[in-house]
Amino acid sequence: MTATTPARPGARGRARRQWAPYLFISPFFLLFAVFMLVPIGAGAYLSLTEWAGLGTPEFIGFDNYTRLFQDPSFGVSLLNTGFYTVFSLAVVLPASLLIAQALNARGLKLRDFFRLVYFLPVVLSPIIIALIFGLIFDGEYGLFNAVLEALFGFGGVSWLTDPLWARIVVVVLVLWRWTGFLTIFFLAGLQNIPRELVEAAEVDGAGPVRRFFSVTLPQLGPVTAFIAVTMLVNTAQIFEEPFLLTQGGPGESTLSVSMFIYRAGFQRLELGYAAAAGVIMFLIVFALGRLSISAFGVGRNR
Amino acid sequence: MELNRRDMLRLLGAVGLGTGALTACSSPTQGPPLRSGHAALSLWTHDPGYATFFTEAAADPALVGGSEWTYSIEVTSLAPPDVVARLVSQAVAQRPLPSLAGLEIGQFPRMMGSDIAANLLYDLTPLTEPFGDRLLKTQPYTVDGRVYALESDNSVSVMYYRADLFEELGIPEDVETWEELLEIGAEVAADTGQAIGMVSDADNTAIVQGFTQMLLQRGGGLYDADGELTVLSEESVEVLELMAEGVRTGAFLSLADPYGGATAAALKDSHLIATVMPNWYKVYGLEANVPDQAGLWRARNLPRFAGGGSISSTMGGTAFGVVGDQVFTDAALDFLRRCYLTPEGQLARYWAGAYLPTLADLYEAPEFQEITDPFLGGQRIFEVYAAAAEELPAYYQGAGLPVLRDSLGGPILRALKGRTGAEAALREGVSAYERQVPR
Repeated sequence: MTATTPARPGARGRARRQWAPYLFISPFFLLFAVFMLVPIGAGAYLSLTEWAGLGTPEFIGFDNYTRLFQDPSFGVSLLNTGFYTVFSLAVVLPASLLIAQALNARGLKLRDFFRLVYFLPVVLSPIIIALIFGLIFDGEYGLFNAVLEALFGFGGVSWLTDPLWARIVVVVLVLWRWTGFLTIFFLAGLQNIPRELVEAAEVDGAGPVRRFFSVTLPQLGPVTAFIAVTMLVNTAQIFEEPFLLTQGGPGESTLSVSMFIYRAGFQRLELGYAAAAGVIMFLIVFALGRLSISAFGVGRNR
Repeated sequence: MELNRRDMLRLLGAVGLGTGALTACSSPTQGPPLRSGHAALSLWTHDPGYATFFTEAAADPALVGGSEWTYSIEVTSLAPPDVVARLVSQAVAQRPLPSLAGLEIGQFPRMMGSDIAANLLYDLTPLTEPFGDRLLKTQPYTVDGRVYALESDNSVSVMYYRADLFEELGIPEDVETWEELLEIGAEVAADTGQAIGMVSDADNTAIVQGFTQMLLQRGGGLYDADGELTVLSEESVEVLELMAEGVRTGAFLSLADPYGGATAAALKDSHLIATVMPNWYKVYGLEANVPDQAGLWRARNLPRFAGGGSISSTMGGTAFGVVGDQVFTDAALDFLRRCYLTPEGQLARYWAGAYLPTLADLYEAPEFQEITDPFLGGQRIFEVYAAAAEELPAYYQGAGLPVLRDSLGGPILRALKGRTGAEAALREGVSAYERQVPR
């Protein structure tokens, strides 16, 4: 048997080997640059211009930002978005956890049916959802008012045309639509909690409430943190629910920041102004995301 | 087959080159204009009715006979806002543009600023000028004195009412003023809960459209011919006060969407027994929702305001513009002129989709006067439309209209609900508008 000694690569071969890894990872960076960095840069530049789509953008410095901070509509959209975000974190998140806990109970009959029902809103078309909610909450002929009238003798609440109630209906829609989706994440987390921990707590005499707070919640920490951050970032960019249900109305009482950007860019063709609002929204969402990641300890090694 | 790295790269390169070649082969619509021959016109519209009309018109010898062109139409359906958005984005990207674009009236103001209309659309003023003011509804599509699109449907507002219920309730069919009718309406609402009109209380567009319809009738307007805002006027305050009074007494029913489920329910259960709407509402609102009430409805001209104004108004509409600097721009101009500015074209449009003529003189033509409408109990409907067309108020739009709708919607709604006064609401809306659209 003859052993062969591999030939030593020449300078050309060494250079090829040196560049090969970069060549292999380059598609990602190329696509990232073309589809992320360039649009972000273009958006940031556009925010410093006045442009309706045709012709050359006119550079106007920070005028769009000055106008933005004096625009009451933008202020309203920020407040509304804040309201939707706080509601999502304070109500949708706990509701999902409780439903997941219930679905995780041992001996629950029709478990799969319940899971399907809770997940159904996620796969339904938003258009259909908006139509159905419109019919349910219509002030004159709505189902909800009819039920209130039949049960309690009062109805006639202007659910979609009163600023306060319209906001409430939007968050009810958020609750209805996203609770089931988040429940699936929590359920996966709950099923990963070692059974021995719960049983040990039971042996130690812990009741259901104590087990929930002392075992379940701490074990769900990473899942909760992930869901909270995702929910926060998503709700800060909420668009579909108010757009389809109320078109941002009555007046501007349900207008979100994303809708504000859409309105400025696509309805009013103020592309520079829309880009400025987009930059502000990006900064807010980025800052909130970073803060919440830090607060919830996402990705922190234990 | 084994594919090594080199072959893979070759394959990718070939795919890239092929894609580039195919892109280069795509038929461009820009270029030096052709003067005759076959014109494959592309049409963007939101309304299937227009798609059908134009497709049939292209092969109708009565319309296109004797032309230097022969036509075929390729239709692209788009939502009304998308027609404008895509016109702009395609122009920026230098991608193919349509020969003809259907511009919904509420979307046209988006083209009025930044010279978008002048840059994209062909100036139709030379076609419209010979008709003078006998060609109706050119104002909404006029920018700096130039007309950029031709209205398809005059959208004349009349009052549709249930003749059987009016008779039963003792409501005269010829009440002369809104003030009188509102008094009667208040009594009817108190007695039976039925309403003789509706206001929209949902999205800003519908709210402001309803207000504008009555404001135009009263002699006011949102903008003047120079594009200056004219919302703050005595007429506006009077109209809004009257509408709020109607809602307060129950004479006017507050409904979310004039075309939605709640309105259909109100019509079906005879809760809403009359409504002021344009001619197209008979097809899309009444016949679609309450076909079983055919023969029970009638149309009449609007009662005047005691303070002045006309018996007519307008709401909605779609105009067609010819996109400039295209291979078939001349062909599209010829085709649009034949379909929209000739009596044959106007009659064909009426039969295709009940689109009312925009040539004022045609309302008296026997072909139109003899038309009877079975849904309206066999009424000779053009007697009503002709009187309305004769007094049709001018409707001017401005580039800031999308902002105005959003600024006025909330305050008008609060005024309608009695939460603020009419003048205060209008001032608030105008103030918000002026902050966003500086003079």
